[in-house]
Amino acid sequence: MSLLLEKALKKAQNLTPSNPLGIGITPYLMAGDPNPETTLRRMLQLAKGGVDVIELGVPFSDPMADGPIIQAAGQRALEQGMNLTKVLRLTAQFRAQNQDTPILLMSYLNPLLKYGLESFLRDAQSSGINGLILPELPWRESSSFQEKLKKYAPELTLIPMVAQTSSQDHLKSLSQAEKGFAYVLSRHGITGGDATILDSTLEYIRSLKEELTLPLYVGFGIHSPNQVEKLAGVCQGVIVGSALVQKYAHLDALDLPHEEKLKKEEEIATWLISLRQPTLKEE
Amino acid sequence: MEKAQKGYFGEYGGSYVPPELQKVMDQIEELFEKCKQDPEFNKELDYYLEQYAGRPNPLYFAEKLTKKLGGAKIYLKREELNHTGSHKINNAIGQALIAKHMGKTRIIAETGAGQHGVATATACALFGLDCVIYMGEHDTKRQALNVFRMEILGAEVKAINNGEGSMKEAIDEALLDLAENYDNTFYLIGSAVGPHPYPSIVKHFQSVISKEAKEQILKAEGRLPDAVLACVGGGSNAIGAFANFINDSSVRLIGVEPAGLGLDTGKHAAPLNAGEPGVIHGFRCYMVQDDQGNPMPTHSISAGLDYIGVGPEHSYLKDSGRGEYVSVTDQEALDAFYLLSRTEGIIPALESAHAVAHAAKIAPTMSPEQILIVNVSGRGDKDVQQIFDMTRK
Repeated sequence: MSLLLEKALKKAQNLTPSNPLGIGITPYLMAGDPNPETTLRRMLQLAKGGVDVIELGVPFSDPMADGPIIQAAGQRALEQGMNLTKVLRLTAQFRAQNQDTPILLMSYLNPLLKYGLESFLRDAQSSGINGLILPELPWRESSSFQEKLKKYAPELTLIPMVAQTSSQDHLKSLSQAEKGFAYVLSRHGITGGDATILDSTLEYIRSLKEELTLPLYVGFGIHSPNQVEKLAGVCQGVIVGSALVQKYAHLDALDLPHEEKLKKEEEIATWLISLRQPTLKEE
Repeated sequence: MEKAQKGYFGEYGGSYVPPELQKVMDQIEELFEKCKQDPEFNKELDYYLEQYAGRPNPLYFAEKLTKKLGGAKIYLKREELNHTGSHKINNAIGQALIAKHMGKTRIIAETGAGQHGVATATACALFGLDCVIYMGEHDTKRQALNVFRMEILGAEVKAINNGEGSMKEAIDEALLDLAENYDNTFYLIGSAVGPHPYPSIVKHFQSVISKEAKEQILKAEGRLPDAVLACVGGGSNAIGAFANFINDSSVRLIGVEPAGLGLDTGKHAAPLNAGEPGVIHGFRCYMVQDDQGNPMPTHSISAGLDYIGVGPEHSYLKDSGRGEYVSVTDQEALDAFYLLSRTEGIIPALESAHAVAHAAKIAPTMSPEQILIVNVSGRGDKDVQQIFDMTRK
């Protein structure tokens, strides 16, 4: 279990002028898109801007849970030569400069298996990573993984994912996970896309509260203050992935002087944190 | 990960899918288990296999080929005589019936050579289901006529231009489609791959191959064969051809992988011969991967064998030593393609030609009392254009 993560999740609930709804904000970035230095700079900037937790994606060629935007980001990172070793180097660099903002690594399994699960867990912990999101690892089959986690990386938290289709058994087994948060999918399918927050979704998230003591962080298709305001009543945080990755990708595709780019990057960080400001009007 | 569980073959298989899809897999498994036991379902399946697909197909003694090679007696299991020209129809009808029982109205499928796509489009036409076939763009070019056949049958073919544009990318897209549309959609997987329960479903519907072959060889020869040979891409025809012989320890089970330009060139699609275990497309199997755990580009003359992974049960049969997995090159497969065409008047699919090629290697080393069964999984009509282009350019 990660104390850093617990602390950050708790802090995210505090009502402050910059966080009037008391809702956590977690950006997702693809590591190495467009290159490791840029990812590091953006992580540091987002952390400074006040995000509560950073989710960092490990690029993989066949990402089963990701929509076109994150797929493309992963492809760009792979073409740049990004790999798991370099991702760990990146998180270690981040941790050297920031000791407050937790990092959750989102990865498909095969790169970890190829690296060697035990070495990976040890190295992840020593590289400043605080938790793992493994979309392909079925929770009901994760017990041997959890044992390894306890043994080799006791300071890491495994973040469970919950879908609206998840069975009662699945939820029951989740209640054993006492730390971190539950990653709740706001909608059907894969990352990105349009996500109107339906009443049925709110109802569903509310019902999860009866089953789970974990804080609930909702992801998949989050991009507007309206969505966040709706969700604030039923969950503790949101994860913003595709919408952010898309903004960065647009910026990277522009032919601008470096100074201009840095300025636009600042604007993106401001946009992200402003998602939890209910007074702002939709763009 | 966890071992000796439902859906595992040794340490292979399993269901490594996002939580959203897990529920879908559970529902499919539940219905499959129910259908398997249901006499009505089996009656309907048998009816279509017999009256529509043309089963049983012959186990043909290839006398000319046997004489020419001089050695073991060679029998050919004639899956290429099935309706649509390959073994793929066995599984397509079976799964389409399951989809119908689940109340699904839309079928999606991946295809490499197009044989599974054609079989699926056919089953959808028969049962009145909407049909979308995902196919790598590279494959749509080398199998253009099969694409057209699918369209004639009313299917929509979506060409995927990501990555290598082969079966891997087609499966990626189909899985994403399923995650989005599972309410009305059934993913009809053609290879013995994918998350549990798919490898078991495909084996179940393909094991009719060895069920017939066993009865047929016992009738013809009064004994079991010495070996059964089949080509292995994902491994659906091979697992079907092996299934009813797995417990007969005297029968060698030989799977033939595509060595492409040669195993040492890196241009192949032979995970069992030149890969290592990994997790891809929701299951654990041998796969061709780089040192970072990303799948490597594969190559085979035969689109239907051009896949980075292989069925979990084949991975297990290899480790346990029950199965033998060898490989033949593009050129050897092409030679065997002509060999069978000219000695027996049977034009095999390039996939099946891999099995013929290995039979041609080992038959001369065996005695005339010994018996080989070679599964001719498909017919070569679909490959004629490709070979025409290769030889006339």
